[in-house]
Amino acid sequence: MKHADLELRGVSKHYNARLALDDISLRVEPGDHTAMVGSSGCGKSTLLRMVAGLEAPSSGQVLLGGEVASDTQRIILPPHRRGIAMVFQDLALWPNLSVLENVLLGLGGTECSKAQRALRAIDALALCGIPDLADRKPGTLSGGQQQRVALARSLAVRPAFLFLDEPFAGLDPVIKAKLLREIMALAGEHAFTIVLVTHDPFEANELCTMGVLLDGGRATERGKLVDLVRESSSEILSSFRQRLGGWAGALT
Amino acid sequence: MISSLALERPGRWRAGGIGLLLGLIAAPDVLLLWRALGDGAAGAVGWSFVQAIGRSACIAGIAGLVGLMCGLPLGVGTALYRFRGRALLLALVTLPLLVPSFLWGIGWSSLAAALGVPFLLSGLPACVLVFAAGLVVPLVLLTAYAATAALTGSQIDAARLAGGEREVVWQASRNASAPALLAAALGGVLTLVDPGPGQIFGEQTAASEILTSFAALYDFGLAGRQCAVLAGLVLVGAVPLALLATARFANDLLAKQTRRAVPVTHERLAVLMVGALAMLTTAATILPTLGLLLPMVAGGPELLTWTARDPFQMNHPELVLFGAAAEVGRTAANSFLYAGGAALVAMLLGIGAAVCVGRFPRLRAAWLAATLALFCVPPALPALGIVALATSSPAWADALLRSRLTVCVALGLRLVPVSSVIALRAWASTSPSWAMAAALHGVPLHRYAARVLVPVLRPAVGVGLLLVALLASADIATVLLVHPPGESSLPLAIVTVMANAPEMLVSALCLVYIAGAAAMLGGLWVLSGAAEA
Repeated sequence: MKHADLELRGVSKHYNARLALDDISLRVEPGDHTAMVGSSGCGKSTLLRMVAGLEAPSSGQVLLGGEVASDTQRIILPPHRRGIAMVFQDLALWPNLSVLENVLLGLGGTECSKAQRALRAIDALALCGIPDLADRKPGTLSGGQQQRVALARSLAVRPAFLFLDEPFAGLDPVIKAKLLREIMALAGEHAFTIVLVTHDPFEANELCTMGVLLDGGRATERGKLVDLVRESSSEILSSFRQRLGGWAGALT
Repeated sequence: MISSLALERPGRWRAGGIGLLLGLIAAPDVLLLWRALGDGAAGAVGWSFVQAIGRSACIAGIAGLVGLMCGLPLGVGTALYRFRGRALLLALVTLPLLVPSFLWGIGWSSLAAALGVPFLLSGLPACVLVFAAGLVVPLVLLTAYAATAALTGSQIDAARLAGGEREVVWQASRNASAPALLAAALGGVLTLVDPGPGQIFGEQTAASEILTSFAALYDFGLAGRQCAVLAGLVLVGAVPLALLATARFANDLLAKQTRRAVPVTHERLAVLMVGALAMLTTAATILPTLGLLLPMVAGGPELLTWTARDPFQMNHPELVLFGAAAEVGRTAANSFLYAGGAALVAMLLGIGAAVCVGRFPRLRAAWLAATLALFCVPPALPALGIVALATSSPAWADALLRSRLTVCVALGLRLVPVSSVIALRAWASTSPSWAMAAALHGVPLHRYAARVLVPVLRPAVGVGLLLVALLASADIATVLLVHPPGESSLPLAIVTVMANAPEMLVSALCLVYIAGAAAMLGGLWVLSGAAEA
């Protein structure tokens, strides 16, 4: 599913009486790098999980490449057939497996031979600059190294979409900036679509060109990130503007 | 392909599974209650039983109070402060929980006889001593310890900054007081259903009355009615407690990613803690063990003159020791089979419960409340239920209802509440995103389970198996009521021979059991260290 677009049509999600997403319709073009911003609990992660097929919408449709992947209360296309890789907030590394085994098991859903999987895993580790950590357990690695392992596991499947669910929270700024630059380079090289969930204006600015503002489960604003930050009167985007300082120069 | 997401998604199968498991665990209890209520003589339990209930309630109340007063400060102090021998003392405090209470009763009784003061240790005070030192205080202590150890390092630091050690102890005690109170109440309830000390010290408690009705008077109907009455009284107290406890307990089961509090060194408090724990260990373990050793030591000089005696006289110490070894050898296979089988049954059901409960708070609370209430009913109730089922079943069902397998299943069902708490805790320590990542990468459920879940849960399951095995081997009432003829376990053999056999033989058997439990506790300690890591 290379270079496919993704689209949401009137997607809502309820958890018992609580409304997490409310009638969201949006489209992400192939190769776009989109930042999902919004306050805590506004439904950003739920939206990612819904598109990834980890949850079914209460109503509405999720389309990938024009095909309906999820419909009301129904997951039609299983998660591993969507061409989506995701770096979770807690990274979701399997703690009992070594770095290499994490990447290898992550390739379990691909239709490759064992030798090809091994080759891909080693390539992915090299791509993320951690070939020497292959035999280490995730618990013995630093935060930055664990991020790279999660990224390597995601990239090894050669996804069409890379979802990043606040994966850089807690990292020091130097390592974060380095990782963001590396992801940008990889995205340029492999041309995958990126959807980033973040509270951090610097992450959004570094990685994304498009933006969607979620508020109370609704997509209230969308467009070019530059324009959104310049013109939006929302609290979170105003804070982005202030934190980025001399806005016109800082946002690229 | 079944997706690993099935483990994290809601579904009606969860409530169905929990209902099925609870039905299975409660079936023997319901069966006996049904029979007892349908009995024409319903309500006729005898005046002596009513008096026995009063005595049991008195023992439960005093033991609970003593347990709370001693266990709470000791648990909080042990969790907050580091001192020499802390791990060993904690292990020694845990040991009495894993040994049948009647063994400690025999030890105390023997010690009192050797000191020439048997009148000091008899009746109700002796029962209170054994129950308080061997059950309620350790239970409250471990609960307070766990509640305090669950505090974060930042919480402890904040209290210390606000008012020094006094404030730390006060805040930690306040935090632990509610779980400790509930543990004391649970301990009190458990004393109601344990016949051991009552039998040893000649105090007719409700639980010992039930055993007498069944095993001595052979009046199954009376035993069933007495069981039903006691269970009803226990449940009246246990159900509200279970509902109160589970709201908090269900949350405490969840793994939290916080900075742990590290015990600190405090010279004066360390001396106080070591002294208090040593006193508790002396009362709960050392003195009764000494009481069990005394008959052996008394037999020592006789051992030296063995050759000059008639070797076939049964009061010869060496022959008694051979007899003890033979008894241990005769019952070892069954003891291990019952303990291991029960552990396997309980752990399988516990894991099943953890899978059904998942991460859903309401299901978790409902399961814990129901199983905690079931844990409080007398073990004789489900055991007699199984006996009732066996007597009304055709002969071909004997393989299921009158065999060693029956003992394993009965003990396993009784201990599911313990195994399920361990399984739920272990399950909560896994991350839901592991299953999501597996689903996203196309890893099927069976492979995810084999490669990730099973290896991650293995240490906790190992701890659970060992703990349940220890508790199962300490349960006398169930084995006594449902074991097939001639297939007794070691504790049951002790109960059977203690009235007629030489004191030395009984002591030797008790010491073998305590040594075995201590060895298994050591194994548990090592395994739980691995699980913690």
